Amino acid sequence: MTLIRRFLDGDERAFRVLYDRHTPRLKMTIRRLLGRRQHDVDDVVQETWLAGCRGLHGFRGDAKFSSWLTSIGVRASYALLSRAAEREGESIDEIVAPTPTEGPATTIDLERALASLPDVPRIVVVLHDVEGFTHDEIAEQLGIAQGTSKATLSRARRALRNALTAGVSNAQR
Amino acid sequence: MHNDNDDDLAPAAYDDDELRLLALLPREAAVAPDEFERLRRRLSQDGFFRPPMQRWRVPALAAAALLLLATGFAAGRFLARRDSLEDLLARRNLSAGDRILLLQRAGSAYVRAAQSYADATATIDSSAVEVASKVLVGAAHAVARSSLDAGLAARLTDAVQPPVVPRAAAPRKPITWF
Repeated sequence: MTLIRRFLDGDERAFRVLYDRHTPRLKMTIRRLLGRRQHDVDDVVQETWLAGCRGLHGFRGDAKFSSWLTSIGVRASYALLSRAAEREGESIDEIVAPTPTEGPATTIDLERALASLPDVPRIVVVLHDVEGFTHDEIAEQLGIAQGTSKATLSRARRALRNALTAGVSNAQR
Repeated sequence: MHNDNDDDLAPAAYDDDELRLLALLPREAAVAPDEFERLRRRLSQDGFFRPPMQRWRVPALAAAALLLLATGFAAGRFLARRDSLEDLLARRNLSAGDRILLLQRAGSAYVRAAQSYADATATIDSSAVEVASKVLVGAAHAVARSSLDAGLAARLTDAVQPPVVPRAAAPRKPITWF
Protein backbone atom coordinates (compact mmCIF):
# COMPACT_ATOMS: atom_id res chain seq x y z
CA MET A 1 0.00 0.00 0.00
CA THR A 2 2.94 2.30 0.63
CA LEU A 3 4.06 1.99 -2.99
CA ILE A 4 0.51 2.61 -4.18
CA ARG A 5 0.19 5.72 -2.00
CA ARG A 6 3.52 7.01 -3.24
CA PHE A 7 2.47 6.38 -6.84
CA LEU A 8 -0.82 8.19 -6.27
CA ASP A 9 1.25 11.09 -4.90
CA GLY A 10 3.01 11.24 -8.27
CA ASP A 11 6.13 9.21 -7.50
CA GLU A 12 7.24 7.64 -10.78
CA ARG A 13 9.82 5.44 -9.10
CA ALA A 14 7.14 3.83 -6.93
CA PHE A 15 5.17 3.05 -10.07
CA ARG A 16 8.26 1.52 -11.65
CA VAL A 17 8.61 -0.82 -8.68
CA LEU A 18 4.93 -1.81 -8.90
CA TYR A 19 5.25 -2.34 -12.64
CA ASP A 20 8.37 -4.47 -12.38
CA ARG A 21 6.85 -6.54 -9.60
CA HIS A 22 3.50 -7.36 -11.20
CA THR A 23 3.85 -7.12 -14.97
CA PRO A 24 5.67 -10.41 -15.73
CA ARG A 25 2.93 -12.49 -14.12
CA LEU A 26 0.15 -10.31 -15.51
CA LYS A 27 1.61 -10.57 -18.98
CA MET A 28 1.85 -14.35 -18.85
CA THR A 29 -1.77 -14.63 -17.68
CA ILE A 30 -2.97 -12.33 -20.45
CA ARG A 31 -0.86 -14.17 -23.01
CA ARG A 32 -2.58 -17.46 -22.09
CA LEU A 33 -6.01 -15.87 -22.01
CA LEU A 34 -5.59 -14.38 -25.48
CA GLY A 35 -4.62 -17.71 -27.06
CA ARG A 36 -3.79 -17.12 -30.71
CA ARG A 37 -4.10 -13.32 -30.48
CA GLN A 38 -0.54 -12.93 -29.22
CA HIS A 39 -0.06 -9.69 -31.16
CA ASP A 40 -2.57 -8.04 -28.81
CA VAL A 41 -0.82 -9.06 -25.60
CA ASP A 42 1.22 -5.86 -25.10
CA ASP A 43 -1.80 -3.66 -25.81
CA VAL A 44 -3.96 -5.52 -23.32
CA VAL A 45 -1.22 -5.38 -20.67
CA GLN A 46 -0.99 -1.61 -21.20
CA GLU A 47 -4.76 -1.23 -21.19
CA THR A 48 -4.89 -3.21 -17.94
CA TRP A 49 -2.33 -0.99 -16.26
CA LEU A 50 -4.03 2.18 -17.48
CA ALA A 51 -7.40 1.01 -16.21
CA GLY A 52 -5.78 -0.09 -12.96
CA CYS A 53 -4.02 3.23 -12.44
CA ARG A 54 -7.15 5.22 -13.23
CA GLY A 55 -9.15 3.15 -10.77
CA LEU A 56 -6.44 2.88 -8.15
CA HIS A 57 -8.11 5.45 -5.88
CA GLY A 58 -10.89 2.90 -5.46
CA PHE A 59 -8.50 0.09 -4.46
CA ARG A 60 -9.03 -0.35 -0.72
CA GLY A 61 -6.43 -3.05 -0.18
CA ASP A 62 -8.89 -5.73 0.98
CA ALA A 63 -7.65 -7.94 -1.89
CA LYS A 64 -4.09 -8.48 -3.01
CA PHE A 65 -3.03 -5.88 -5.54
CA SER A 66 -1.88 -8.64 -7.92
CA SER A 67 -5.31 -10.33 -7.79
CA TRP A 68 -7.04 -6.98 -8.30
CA LEU A 69 -4.84 -6.18 -11.28
CA THR A 70 -5.27 -9.67 -12.75
CA SER A 71 -9.06 -9.27 -12.55
CA ILE A 72 -8.76 -6.11 -14.64
CA GLY A 73 -6.54 -7.98 -17.09
CA VAL A 74 -9.07 -10.80 -17.36
CA ARG A 75 -11.89 -8.38 -18.12
CA ALA A 76 -9.74 -6.52 -20.67
CA SER A 77 -8.77 -9.78 -22.38
CA TYR A 78 -12.32 -11.08 -22.46
CA ALA A 79 -13.58 -7.77 -23.84
CA LEU A 80 -10.95 -7.82 -26.58
CA LEU A 81 -11.75 -11.40 -27.55
CA SER A 82 -15.47 -10.65 -27.62
CA ARG A 83 -14.92 -7.57 -29.80
CA ALA A 84 -12.62 -9.50 -32.13
CA ALA A 85 -15.08 -12.38 -32.45
CA GLU A 86 -17.89 -9.95 -33.21
CA ARG A 87 -15.81 -8.03 -35.74
CA GLU A 88 -14.33 -11.03 -37.49
CA GLY A 89 -17.51 -13.09 -37.37
CA GLU A 90 -15.58 -15.85 -35.72
CA SER A 91 -17.18 -18.03 -33.10
CA ILE A 92 -15.28 -17.81 -29.86
CA ASP A 93 -16.07 -21.50 -29.40
CA GLU A 94 -14.39 -22.57 -32.61
CA ILE A 95 -11.69 -25.19 -32.01
CA VAL A 96 -8.42 -24.95 -33.88
CA ALA A 97 -6.22 -28.02 -34.21
CA PRO A 98 -2.96 -27.72 -32.26
CA THR A 99 0.34 -27.83 -34.06
CA PRO A 100 1.77 -31.38 -33.89
CA THR A 101 4.93 -31.96 -31.84
CA GLU A 102 7.28 -34.91 -31.29
CA GLY A 103 7.86 -37.07 -28.18
CA PRO A 104 6.05 -36.93 -24.83
CA ALA A 105 3.92 -33.92 -24.03
CA THR A 106 5.79 -30.94 -22.75
CA THR A 107 4.74 -27.60 -21.33
CA ILE A 108 5.08 -26.23 -24.84
CA ASP A 109 2.54 -28.80 -26.04
CA LEU A 110 0.25 -27.83 -23.19
CA GLU A 111 0.59 -24.15 -24.08
CA ARG A 112 -0.25 -24.97 -27.70
CA ALA A 113 -3.19 -27.12 -26.65
CA LEU A 114 -4.46 -24.32 -24.42
CA ALA A 115 -4.08 -21.80 -27.24
CA SER A 116 -6.02 -24.09 -29.54
CA LEU A 117 -9.08 -24.09 -27.28
CA PRO A 118 -12.01 -21.80 -28.08
CA ASP A 119 -11.86 -18.51 -26.22
CA VAL A 120 -14.34 -19.05 -23.40
CA PRO A 121 -13.25 -22.62 -22.50
CA ARG A 122 -9.64 -21.49 -22.65
CA ILE A 123 -10.30 -18.54 -20.36
CA VAL A 124 -12.14 -20.74 -17.88
CA VAL A 125 -9.49 -23.46 -17.82
CA VAL A 126 -6.65 -20.94 -17.55
CA LEU A 127 -8.34 -19.04 -14.74
CA HIS A 128 -9.40 -22.14 -12.82
CA ASP A 129 -6.60 -24.63 -13.38
CA VAL A 130 -3.63 -22.33 -13.90
CA GLU A 131 -4.44 -19.14 -12.01
CA GLY A 132 -6.52 -20.71 -9.24
CA PHE A 133 -9.69 -18.64 -9.60
CA THR A 134 -12.87 -20.07 -8.07
CA HIS A 135 -15.98 -20.62 -10.18
CA ASP A 136 -17.55 -17.74 -8.27
CA GLU A 137 -14.78 -15.43 -9.35
CA ILE A 138 -14.79 -16.70 -12.93
CA ALA A 139 -18.55 -16.26 -13.14
CA GLU A 140 -18.20 -12.69 -11.86
CA GLN A 141 -15.36 -11.83 -14.23
CA LEU A 142 -17.05 -13.22 -17.35
CA GLY A 143 -20.60 -12.33 -16.41
CA ILE A 144 -21.81 -15.93 -16.59
CA ALA A 145 -23.54 -18.25 -14.13
CA GLN A 146 -21.42 -20.30 -11.77
CA GLY A 147 -22.91 -23.52 -13.22
CA THR A 148 -21.94 -22.36 -16.71
CA SER A 149 -18.40 -21.91 -15.52
CA LYS A 150 -18.32 -25.45 -14.10
CA ALA A 151 -19.81 -26.99 -17.22
CA THR A 152 -17.43 -25.01 -19.43
CA LEU A 153 -14.46 -26.17 -17.38
CA SER A 154 -15.54 -29.78 -17.71
CA ARG A 155 -15.81 -29.45 -21.49
CA ALA A 156 -12.60 -27.47 -21.67
CA ARG A 157 -10.62 -30.15 -19.84
CA ARG A 158 -11.84 -32.82 -22.26
CA ALA A 159 -11.01 -30.61 -25.20
CA LEU A 160 -7.62 -29.84 -23.73
CA ARG A 161 -6.84 -33.52 -23.26
CA ASN A 162 -7.94 -34.26 -26.82
CA ALA A 163 -5.88 -31.41 -28.17
CA LEU A 164 -2.86 -32.51 -26.20
CA THR A 165 -3.22 -36.14 -27.31
CA ALA A 166 -3.90 -35.17 -30.89
CA GLY A 167 -0.95 -32.85 -31.01
CA VAL A 168 1.49 -35.45 -29.71
CA SER A 169 0.08 -38.43 -31.60
CA ASN A 170 -0.08 -36.46 -34.86
CA ALA A 171 3.60 -35.74 -34.48
CA GLN A 172 4.39 -39.38 -33.79
CA ARG A 173 2.70 -40.64 -37.00
CA MET B 1 -8.27 -17.21 -5.30
CA HIS B 2 -8.47 -20.82 -4.26
CA ASN B 3 -10.10 -23.55 -6.24
CA ASP B 4 -13.39 -24.69 -4.89
CA ASN B 5 -14.21 -28.35 -4.65
CA ASP B 6 -16.17 -29.59 -7.59
CA ASP B 7 -17.27 -33.19 -7.38
CA ASP B 8 -16.98 -34.03 -11.03
CA LEU B 9 -14.65 -31.20 -12.02
CA ALA B 10 -11.96 -31.71 -9.39
CA PRO B 11 -8.31 -31.48 -10.44
CA ALA B 12 -8.34 -35.31 -10.41
CA ALA B 13 -9.97 -35.00 -13.82
CA TYR B 14 -6.41 -34.55 -15.04
CA ASP B 15 -3.99 -37.43 -15.00
CA ASP B 16 -0.62 -37.18 -13.29
CA ASP B 17 1.22 -36.11 -16.42
CA GLU B 18 -1.25 -33.38 -17.13
CA LEU B 19 -1.08 -32.15 -13.54
CA ARG B 20 2.70 -32.16 -13.74
CA LEU B 21 2.62 -30.15 -16.95
CA LEU B 22 0.17 -27.68 -15.44
CA ALA B 23 2.43 -27.24 -12.44
CA LEU B 24 5.44 -26.72 -14.71
CA LEU B 25 3.83 -23.99 -16.79
CA PRO B 26 5.86 -20.78 -16.51
CA ARG B 27 4.11 -18.14 -14.45
CA GLU B 28 5.94 -15.08 -15.75
CA ALA B 29 6.69 -13.59 -19.16
CA ALA B 30 9.57 -11.36 -20.16
CA VAL B 31 8.75 -7.65 -20.32
CA ALA B 32 10.54 -5.46 -22.86
CA PRO B 33 11.84 -2.10 -21.57
CA ASP B 34 9.92 -0.15 -24.22
CA GLU B 35 6.64 -1.49 -22.82
CA PHE B 36 7.23 0.39 -19.60
CA GLU B 37 8.27 3.53 -21.47
CA ARG B 38 5.11 3.43 -23.58
CA LEU B 39 2.96 3.12 -20.46
CA ARG B 40 4.96 5.77 -18.59
CA ARG B 41 4.32 8.27 -21.40
CA ARG B 42 0.60 7.55 -21.35
CA LEU B 43 0.42 7.96 -17.59
CA SER B 44 2.45 11.18 -17.79
CA GLN B 45 0.00 12.55 -20.36
CA ASP B 46 -2.77 11.69 -17.92
CA GLY B 47 -0.97 13.72 -15.24
CA PHE B 48 -0.05 10.82 -12.97
CA PHE B 49 3.54 11.85 -12.37
CA ARG B 50 4.74 15.12 -10.91
CA PRO B 51 7.91 16.51 -12.51
CA PRO B 52 10.99 15.31 -10.67
CA MET B 53 12.38 17.79 -8.16
CA GLN B 54 15.74 19.03 -9.45
CA ARG B 55 18.64 18.84 -7.04
CA TRP B 56 19.41 22.54 -7.42
CA ARG B 57 15.82 23.62 -7.02
CA VAL B 58 15.61 23.87 -3.23
CA PRO B 59 18.78 25.97 -2.78
CA ALA B 60 17.75 28.14 -5.74
CA LEU B 61 14.31 28.72 -4.26
CA ALA B 62 15.85 29.55 -0.88
CA ALA B 63 18.29 31.99 -2.49
CA ALA B 64 15.47 33.61 -4.46
CA ALA B 65 13.40 33.96 -1.30
CA LEU B 66 16.32 35.59 0.55
CA LEU B 67 16.95 37.95 -2.37
CA LEU B 68 13.30 38.91 -2.43
CA LEU B 69 13.33 39.54 1.30
CA ALA B 70 16.47 41.69 1.11
CA THR B 71 15.10 43.65 -1.86
CA GLY B 72 11.85 44.25 -0.02
CA PHE B 73 13.68 45.38 3.09
CA ALA B 74 15.89 47.80 1.11
CA ALA B 75 12.91 49.15 -0.83
CA GLY B 76 11.00 49.65 2.41
CA ARG B 77 13.86 51.56 3.97
CA PHE B 78 14.30 53.69 0.85
CA LEU B 79 10.61 54.56 0.74
CA ALA B 80 10.58 55.35 4.45
CA ARG B 81 13.54 57.72 4.13
CA ARG B 82 12.42 59.32 0.91
CA ASP B 83 11.06 62.83 1.43
CA SER B 84 11.81 62.66 5.14
CA LEU B 85 13.01 65.88 6.76
CA GLU B 86 16.52 64.50 6.96
CA ASP B 87 16.45 63.50 3.31
CA LEU B 88 15.14 66.88 2.17
CA LEU B 89 17.68 68.71 4.34
CA ALA B 90 20.49 66.70 2.80
CA ARG B 91 19.42 67.48 -0.76
CA ARG B 92 21.12 70.29 -2.66
CA ASN B 93 18.85 70.46 -5.64
CA LEU B 94 15.63 71.64 -4.00
CA SER B 95 13.68 74.42 -5.61
CA ALA B 96 12.70 77.56 -3.69
CA GLY B 97 9.16 76.24 -3.33
CA ASP B 98 10.46 72.95 -1.96
CA ARG B 99 12.61 74.81 0.54
CA ILE B 100 9.65 76.83 1.76
CA LEU B 101 7.72 73.59 2.09
CA LEU B 102 10.64 72.13 4.03
CA LEU B 103 10.60 75.11 6.38
CA GLN B 104 6.91 74.61 6.94
CA ARG B 105 7.33 70.89 7.59
CA ALA B 106 10.15 71.52 10.04
CA GLY B 107 7.96 74.00 11.92
CA SER B 108 5.08 71.57 11.97
CA ALA B 109 7.41 68.86 13.23
CA TYR B 110 8.52 71.16 16.02
CA VAL B 111 4.94 71.91 17.01
CA ARG B 112 3.98 68.22 16.90
CA ALA B 113 7.00 67.27 19.00
CA ALA B 114 6.15 69.90 21.62
CA GLN B 115 2.52 68.81 21.68
CA SER B 116 3.54 65.19 21.93
CA TYR B 117 5.80 66.01 24.87
CA ALA B 118 3.03 67.93 26.62
CA ASP B 119 0.58 65.05 26.07
CA ALA B 120 3.01 62.50 27.42
CA THR B 121 3.99 64.26 30.63
CA ALA B 122 1.82 65.26 33.57
CA THR B 123 4.08 68.06 34.85
CA ILE B 124 6.11 70.62 32.99
CA ASP B 125 9.80 69.85 33.17
CA SER B 126 12.00 72.96 33.24
CA SER B 127 14.52 71.21 31.03
CA ALA B 128 11.89 70.68 28.37
CA VAL B 129 10.83 74.32 28.58
CA GLU B 130 14.43 75.41 28.18
CA VAL B 131 14.99 73.12 25.21
CA ALA B 132 11.78 74.29 23.56
CA SER B 133 12.70 77.95 24.13
CA LYS B 134 16.27 77.58 22.92
CA VAL B 135 15.10 75.88 19.75
CA LEU B 136 12.74 78.77 19.11
CA VAL B 137 15.43 81.35 19.86
CA GLY B 138 17.91 79.48 17.67
CA ALA B 139 15.38 79.39 14.87
CA ALA B 140 14.60 83.07 15.28
CA HIS B 141 18.33 83.93 15.17
CA ALA B 142 18.71 81.87 12.04
CA VAL B 143 15.78 83.64 10.40
CA ALA B 144 17.15 87.03 11.46
CA ARG B 145 20.60 86.23 10.05
CA SER B 146 19.03 85.20 6.81
CA SER B 147 17.03 88.45 6.61
CA LEU B 148 14.06 86.38 5.63
CA ASP B 149 11.46 88.39 7.25
CA ALA B 150 12.28 92.14 7.13
CA GLY B 151 12.46 92.80 10.87
CA LEU B 152 9.84 90.39 12.12
CA ALA B 153 12.55 87.85 12.89
CA ALA B 154 14.39 90.28 15.14
CA ARG B 155 11.23 91.05 17.09
CA LEU B 156 10.52 87.38 17.35
CA THR B 157 14.01 86.83 18.73
CA ASP B 158 13.40 89.43 21.39
CA ALA B 159 10.04 87.93 22.24
CA VAL B 160 11.34 84.42 22.83
CA GLN B 161 14.61 85.52 24.44
CA PRO B 162 14.61 84.11 28.03
CA PRO B 163 14.72 86.66 30.83
CA VAL B 164 18.13 87.59 32.21
CA VAL B 165 18.86 85.52 35.28
CA PRO B 166 20.82 87.17 38.13
CA ARG B 167 24.29 85.72 38.60
CA ALA B 168 23.46 84.78 42.19
CA ALA B 169 20.86 82.39 41.09
CA ALA B 170 21.53 78.66 41.41
CA PRO B 171 23.49 77.25 38.51
CA ARG B 172 21.28 75.49 36.09
CA LYS B 173 22.01 72.14 34.65
CA PRO B 174 23.58 72.60 31.24
CA ILE B 175 21.65 71.07 28.40
CA THR B 176 23.15 69.96 25.14
CA TRP B 177 20.62 70.04 22.36
CA PHE B 178 22.49 70.73 19.13
